[in-house]
Amino acid sequence: MNMKILVVDDFSTMRRIIKNLLQDLGYMNIVEADDGNTALPILKKGSIDFLVTDWNMPGMTGINLLKEVRADEKLSSLPVLMVTAEQKREQIVEAAEAGVNGYIVKPFTAATLKEKIDKIFERIDG
Amino acid sequence: MLEDNKLVTEDNIARAKDLLGCLERNDEEGAREIIDELALVRETELYQEMGKLTRELHDSISAFGMDTQIVNIAKEEIPDARSRLRHVIKLTDEAANSTLTAVEECVPLCDDLKNRSSALYEKWKRFVQRDMDISEFREMSGLIGQFLEDNTRETEAVRTRLNDILMAQTFQDLTSQIIKRVIALVEDVESNLVNLIKLTGKGNAELDKLVHEEDLLAPKGPPVPGVDKGVVSGQDEVDELLSSLGF
Repeated sequence: MNMKILVVDDFSTMRRIIKNLLQDLGYMNIVEADDGNTALPILKKGSIDFLVTDWNMPGMTGINLLKEVRADEKLSSLPVLMVTAEQKREQIVEAAEAGVNGYIVKPFTAATLKEKIDKIFERIDG
Repeated sequence: MLEDNKLVTEDNIARAKDLLGCLERNDEEGAREIIDELALVRETELYQEMGKLTRELHDSISAFGMDTQIVNIAKEEIPDARSRLRHVIKLTDEAANSTLTAVEECVPLCDDLKNRSSALYEKWKRFVQRDMDISEFREMSGLIGQFLEDNTRETEAVRTRLNDILMAQTFQDLTSQIIKRVIALVEDVESNLVNLIKLTGKGNAELDKLVHEEDLLAPKGPPVPGVDKGVVSGQDEVDELLSSLGF
């Protein structure tokens, strides 16, 4: 439960909502970034265990951040959960092909967030 | 149109007869002069027609540009609409933040009340089962007194914050009114654009060719029912799609 989570979303209210939900699930170690460009240097410092990112953000989008993460030798196996309003089938397929570990569409519930996080870590631990 | 300008005139008939005469007489120079004259007649007609079209185009453009409604839309209403929509973002942002603040302040109060009442309940059960000595009973009475005092204060604080959350929802009424006004403007702009397209004389088939193909992977933001196509209906469909891809 001491896992360090980076939450990336351009809307501070959405970051606050996700942060509150994660804290409810017992994850207290949370850092924030408002797009891929600010997230990437934080990730490259190397202390993040789990990335939760939006797709549509100015600067670097979530899908490009995911691609950067997968292309980086040290970050390539970092679990990534996408929480986004993007719901075109082609986009979901693209995220899957880019190596996303979970995909949640907004609006979402606390139960969905918990279920997807549990599933991601069950797979990793298993 | 060129056909409207008469080519069959007495002058032209005379020129044609002269041309035929010149050709029969083998008068090359004379024939050339008449052909040049005829070409000049033709060119003059073309210039007149071009002049007419240019004037019509100029008049149409002037009429369009001088339409006070369009001038007003471009100069006042669109910048106004931008400010109004920014205000909508501000109002929704404030509402979301004040709601989140109230929730974040309530959560520790609720946690505190819940933890203390469940601890007291454990003690109370032991008391009911007569499994408690007098010193522990005295301690429990003190805790109950303190808990009741704090409970009154903390539930009052939760009540105040619930009221804050209630009041934060007034944004919905305000933003709806602003957005309705912007929708009316979009409708005005739409009808003016349709007029402009009619002015260009392009048919629907030609216009369809000009519509750009959609970039399927570009971020679109939240899908709107009845507007966006090819979108999943919710989390269940996302899960189905991902599981079909081996997730």
